[in-house]
Amino acid sequence: MARTGNKNIQAKLVLLGDMGTGKTSLVLRFVTGKFLEYQESTIGAAFFTQVLSLNEATIKFDIWDTAGQERYHSLAPMYYRGAAAAVVVYDITSMESFVRAKKWVQELQRQANPTLIMFLAGNKADLEEKRKVGFEEGEQYAKENGLVFLETSAKTAQNVNELFYEIAKKLAKASPSRPTGIKLHSRSQQNSRRMFCCS
Amino acid sequence: MSSESRASSSGDEASEPNPNPIPKPPEDQLAALALSETDSHANGVVHGSAGENNHNHQEIESDEEEVEANSAAPGLAEVEESREGLPRGSVGGVVWARTNSELEVDGPSSPSSSGYAGERGSSSASSGGSGIDEISEVRNEEVVDGFSDLQASWVPGKRHVDEDDASLSWRKRKKHFFILSNSGKPIYSRHGDEHKLAGFSATLQAIISFVENGGDHVKLVRAGKHQVVFLVKGPIYLVCISCTEEPYESLRMQLELIYGQMLLILTKSVNRCFEKNPKFDMTPLLGGTDIVFSSLIHSFSWNPATFLHAYTCLPLAYATRQAAGAILQDVADSGVLFAILMCKHKVISLVGAQKASLHPDDMLLLSNFVMASESFRTSESFSPICLPRYNPMAFLYAYVHYLDADTYLMLLTTSSDAFYHLKDCRIRIEMVLLKSSVLSEIQRSMIDGGMRVEELPLDPLPRSASFSPHLGQHTLSTDSPDRFREPYIGVGGPAGLWHFIYRSIFLDQYVSSEFSPPISSPRQQKRLYRAYQKLYASMHDRGIGPHKTQFRRDENYVLLCWVTQDFELYAAFDPLADKALAIKTCNRVCQWVKDVENEIFLLGASPFSW
Ligand SMILES: Nc1nc2c(ncn2[C@@H]2O[C@H](COP(=O)(O)OP(=O)(O)OP(=O)(O)O)[C@@H](O)[C@H]2O)c(=O)[nH]1
Ligand SMILES: [Mg+2]
Repeated sequence: MARTGNKNIQAKLVLLGDMGTGKTSLVLRFVTGKFLEYQESTIGAAFFTQVLSLNEATIKFDIWDTAGQERYHSLAPMYYRGAAAAVVVYDITSMESFVRAKKWVQELQRQANPTLIMFLAGNKADLEEKRKVGFEEGEQYAKENGLVFLETSAKTAQNVNELFYEIAKKLAKASPSRPTGIKLHSRSQQNSRRMFCCS
Repeated sequence: MSSESRASSSGDEASEPNPNPIPKPPEDQLAALALSETDSHANGVVHGSAGENNHNHQEIESDEEEVEANSAAPGLAEVEESREGLPRGSVGGVVWARTNSELEVDGPSSPSSSGYAGERGSSSASSGGSGIDEISEVRNEEVVDGFSDLQASWVPGKRHVDEDDASLSWRKRKKHFFILSNSGKPIYSRHGDEHKLAGFSATLQAIISFVENGGDHVKLVRAGKHQVVFLVKGPIYLVCISCTEEPYESLRMQLELIYGQMLLILTKSVNRCFEKNPKFDMTPLLGGTDIVFSSLIHSFSWNPATFLHAYTCLPLAYATRQAAGAILQDVADSGVLFAILMCKHKVISLVGAQKASLHPDDMLLLSNFVMASESFRTSESFSPICLPRYNPMAFLYAYVHYLDADTYLMLLTTSSDAFYHLKDCRIRIEMVLLKSSVLSEIQRSMIDGGMRVEELPLDPLPRSASFSPHLGQHTLSTDSPDRFREPYIGVGGPAGLWHFIYRSIFLDQYVSSEFSPPISSPRQQKRLYRAYQKLYASMHDRGIGPHKTQFRRDENYVLLCWVTQDFELYAAFDPLADKALAIKTCNRVCQWVKDVENEIFLLGASPFSW
């Protein structure tokens, strides 16, 4: 698939966000082109790969679709560690999910790889009549925090390919000119790690 | 049936020798395989009459059963001849327990005029939930697919979310399960929305703490037809309210499994949350897991593993299972704690690193978790899970991948960084399984099914015989001189044998015969399941003492149970079956299982055997 003289980039991409915001739906729309009305909640994290070819590079995505369920929150570092790009997803019909998205952005800013490319996706844009989070609100927050912002719909496919295409372009630009593989790095064993925090 | 047929583990040139014979004294094998009624007075243990102990639940048994103890055993001679020359030491007493239709018939007690069916209809429309607990539903199934499988008839999902403790329909449910915190906060409810049941939870909590404060524990409360069973696990209380007449022990074990399922998802460290904040609300931590619990609860009415504490294997040619085991072993040697290959709830092969041992209950909970969560079918995943019997405090990491619609591989590790390694392992495993056509064998076995009572061989299998392609090669021929009398011609197996379950104690595995007429409808299957469950409980009731055998006859079945050091056999016969012939048939079943053990059990490589 890679063209000669082209860059081959293997990049780890992680999706974070509250449960039910549509992370799995976005990935499945990108990877399989399909959308399911009843998508089951993700357990732990699901792994997908997808290759995207640009003129300047071929990007092989290793995609971690994490579970939004609260009990998995403290496991997120396991999945975003070593990631080259992250998409933080909220649901435009839920202010709560937008608040949660901001928390994810903060956590990534503090903890993740400093060169991490971050996208903010306001999903379910097809549900305009139920909208709770204004477009400007999302855009404004993204601007302040140096994120790329898009409103998407996994259901109608609006901006889904664009989202991954934009990520790929940014990765191609950011990556050194030699072929590279960005992979999960091992982390010191922490066997006593707690999965969830008690409030 | 004579001793030359025993040689299942002695080497011969049969295509599939067993290199790993079960390490028990070979002499015992057939000796223990002979069941007779000759010693029925020997230990004369009478089931059900010894209710004098501190568990009030045992009253149930004695109330319901009219026990015919030590009754004279007819037809002695014909049984004798079949086991001549065999030691009798291991043969236990037969107890006759004539029961007054104590077996539960689920449906008819709930009249459809009570609004029950209506409620059900409306709620199933809204929640998509349905259950085989309800008689109207069961009847439908019988009409629509009269031969359907009890497992298949269940639609996953939480039921009756619109109900609360004030709804009549909620109160009429036959079986409720609750999890609540010791401060009375609801955590889970089988029926209805747990948040709407806060008042009810508080009541349960009050009962428990009232007794706890008196330095005692509540285990069981009886109220008319209802049993309320309590299980206290630190800050977490589990309660079952049931009018299904299942034994107390069975219900308590079901609560234990529900607790185990919760630990599998969260580990025991969730207790710390309650230490910090007694009013801690745990429901968000279990978000999205309703379906895992409802599927487990459903399995309490069809999966014998839930009371036998054993697992079952998909029947496969010995070489096929070996091939699967070899590649799993390979992977386990590279730092995988457990490698488990399963097809639905049946094990194909499993391997544990070094001395790591996997409890059958953990396997049940793990496979239930994976099968109930649709998410695992979408892609490969890597998730924390806890095996409560292995270590209730710590998470393991599970790599889960479906190889086809029903077959899935689980690789468990202690390392949260192992994903890419496990993924590589899976690719290797998948390649080997494809090349050696293990996957197609699995699919074929799924279609062929397992042991069928109609195929019970009359004579010991010749040693060259193999289970493959199917057990069916030694079917009962009608003009055989040794033909059994069959009360219902063409229905069931010889001597009116309808079904059996054989559990190998040493292997922690069981094999259950396929359901065949007349046990064909889901309702009949469930009724038999409950009968076995009750039989199991009575055989394992410490208060009464160890039973070796039990023979019960009621209007539904003759049930025969036989427990030795090596195995437990549960068999159901036509209610008119002849006792002596039934006993003889049980001996044949045991022999048959021995003959095909290479194909129905996972031998040797099991981590259980270390
Ligand atoms: N209308 C609409 N529904 C969507 C869209 N994306 C997802 N959904 C629905 O929202 C629900 C949740 O979607 P998921 O993709 O499972 O959400 P998730 O973020 O992966 O959830 P978790 O795995 O629990 O973290 C599903 O029923 C989807 O069908 C969208 O763009 N528009
Ligand atoms: Mg998801």
